[in-house]
Amino acid sequence: MGSIMDWSHFIYFALPAVACWSVGAVMAYRPNKYGQVLLWTILGLAVFMAFIVGMWLSLERPPLRTMGETRLWYSFFLPVAEIITYMRWRYKWILSFSTVLSFVFICINLFKPEIHNKTLMPALQSPWFAPHVIVYMFAYAMLGAAAVVAVYLLFRSRKKAIDPDVMSLCDNLVYVGTAFLTIGMLFGALWAKEAWGHYWSWDPKETWAAATWLGNLLYIHFRLHRYLQYKAALGLLVFAFILLQVCWFGVNYLPSAQGNSVHTYNIE
Amino acid sequence: MWKQPWGYAEGWTISFGLFLTGVILQVTTGKVDATLFQYPLNAIVGGVFLFFLVMLYVVSRKAAALQWFYSLTASITSLTAWMVLVIIMGLTQQVAPSATATHGGLLSGLGFMQMTSSWPFLLLFLYFISVLGLVTIHKISRFRWKDIPFLLNHAGLFITLLAAVLGNGDLQRLRMTATLDNPEWRATDDAGQMTELPLAIELKSFTIDEYPPKLLAIDNTTGKALPEGNPENLLVEESLLSGSLLDWDIEVTRSLPMAACVRTVDTMNFVAFHSEGATTALLVKARHKTDGTEKSGWVSCGSFMFPYVSLPLSDSVSLVMPELEPKRFASEVTVYTKSGERADALIEVNKPLSMDGWKIYQLSYDEAKGKWSSTSIFELVKDPWLPVVYIGILMILLGSVCLFVLAPGNKQSPKAVNDTKTE
Repeated sequence: MGSIMDWSHFIYFALPAVACWSVGAVMAYRPNKYGQVLLWTILGLAVFMAFIVGMWLSLERPPLRTMGETRLWYSFFLPVAEIITYMRWRYKWILSFSTVLSFVFICINLFKPEIHNKTLMPALQSPWFAPHVIVYMFAYAMLGAAAVVAVYLLFRSRKKAIDPDVMSLCDNLVYVGTAFLTIGMLFGALWAKEAWGHYWSWDPKETWAAATWLGNLLYIHFRLHRYLQYKAALGLLVFAFILLQVCWFGVNYLPSAQGNSVHTYNIE
Repeated sequence: MWKQPWGYAEGWTISFGLFLTGVILQVTTGKVDATLFQYPLNAIVGGVFLFFLVMLYVVSRKAAALQWFYSLTASITSLTAWMVLVIIMGLTQQVAPSATATHGGLLSGLGFMQMTSSWPFLLLFLYFISVLGLVTIHKISRFRWKDIPFLLNHAGLFITLLAAVLGNGDLQRLRMTATLDNPEWRATDDAGQMTELPLAIELKSFTIDEYPPKLLAIDNTTGKALPEGNPENLLVEESLLSGSLLDWDIEVTRSLPMAACVRTVDTMNFVAFHSEGATTALLVKARHKTDGTEKSGWVSCGSFMFPYVSLPLSDSVSLVMPELEPKRFASEVTVYTKSGERADALIEVNKPLSMDGWKIYQLSYDEAKGKWSSTSIFELVKDPWLPVVYIGILMILLGSVCLFVLAPGNKQSPKAVNDTKTE
């Protein structure tokens, strides 16, 4: 059986999806176009999902193993996270923002495609695999969005005072992101018990996941304590996001993590 | 500093003081030896610790200074201090807690190369979990229904961490090598110590399912897969296939999933062979896309009985078949317990067998023999504290769902309601 779909088909799905999301983002600025915003965004998501499903079928395994494959889910979940945020709090700009961010990750996959590899080692063949990674990618999308908002606010704060409403947006994104981060981590622990015999073994990826998690808890607690120290809080948010970057792909390059992680699958 | 009410300065000082104490203990007494910390000692220590926290809380109702320990500043500083050590741990190469770190100079001297069994880590963790415990007790003592999400998260984390740390001494991880048709009840621990178990495992059969063979091109001198950095490969899923690799059109004209190599002085051939030691072989025809050069011959990944065979395409490039990647390992076993129970089961990676308080995992096999291995290596794990850890994990999972559903929204949060120190 030949493959139905591989990375060479990605562009035919990615660009139409980005086009749909862009139309949705523009609609958000027009009055009374709420329905259209939802429609276009969801249409874009459907197109993008079609590619993921195609990959899943032709790989005969969930496309979650390599960095390129996780970027695929990240590009998908950014608009998902943002449409939920939009529906809940109606920030107009958030859709254009997520579209641009998602497009960046799509471009990385377009310009640096990875080999099409069907094999999946037995340890990854588990019903926990998909929920663990998908929940994490959703968390990363939320926290990524929060971090970009934070950098933007810090950058602009020299000229313009920070809007408390936008600070609560950061809070919301971090709360939701941390909730998913926690769920992803605990799913990982439950899976590890089934696959490796123990729920936590301070593997380098786990160590950085713990640091990332603590970093976000720090932001949440600091906000409860020093509500008006916006800049310090935003600084913590950016710091937590740096920890997340180390956890996501930095560990693949850290000398301290070489050769002893059960989480490196994409290096052949 | 140290004037009521306490704030950040006191929090950082306590953290740093604990860190320093930890370093002194580490330098003078070496790493934390937790091997004696087993039942019933760990349960007693856990009970005493809980009692101590509750007492501390009761006393704090009268002594304002102690109220600081369940304030937000205490939470923030203790969390940060512990996080810093976790980050250092992430940046430092770790060696197994049972090993002796001999290199690393300052890093190993401070215990950072075996972070989880170092005194600074332990003391700051203890500080963190004490604050977490006090915060939880404080919330419980003035319980309101709307505190449920808070309690699920905080009490859940407290229970998980406490049970994980206390239970570590009772955690047994053993390795057992079972050979076909011989019941085995002896297993070894990390240190190589042999233990007799209350259960025996008899291996009935061991199988490895493999993915179809792959072909790839390698550089003859370096042995690296080409193109370097992003190697291409051809998965030979159908028995007869044509595809391309680098500048070559590849055609598989014969495929023998179970083959034996038959060699004479100047010829080499593969024939079908359905017995122990069989390898996989493909007869391949390669044609260069531009200059039309043709090469053909057998390519095989070899086995413990037969050699590995590659097809040279040019002076610098060869076509090879890497060892087939395993898709599934499975051991068919019969397990007997001392109480007379008997169970037939299939143990696979990700599908352990639970029996008599033990979980039995597929760990490894005789790698030299690959799929013809007649031994299977199991890991046996007993963790009597696991149910408590799972209760904690379940609470945090529910707490996280609450965190998601009840994200604060746009309401203006009242400033520092929970803290003893407000400005």
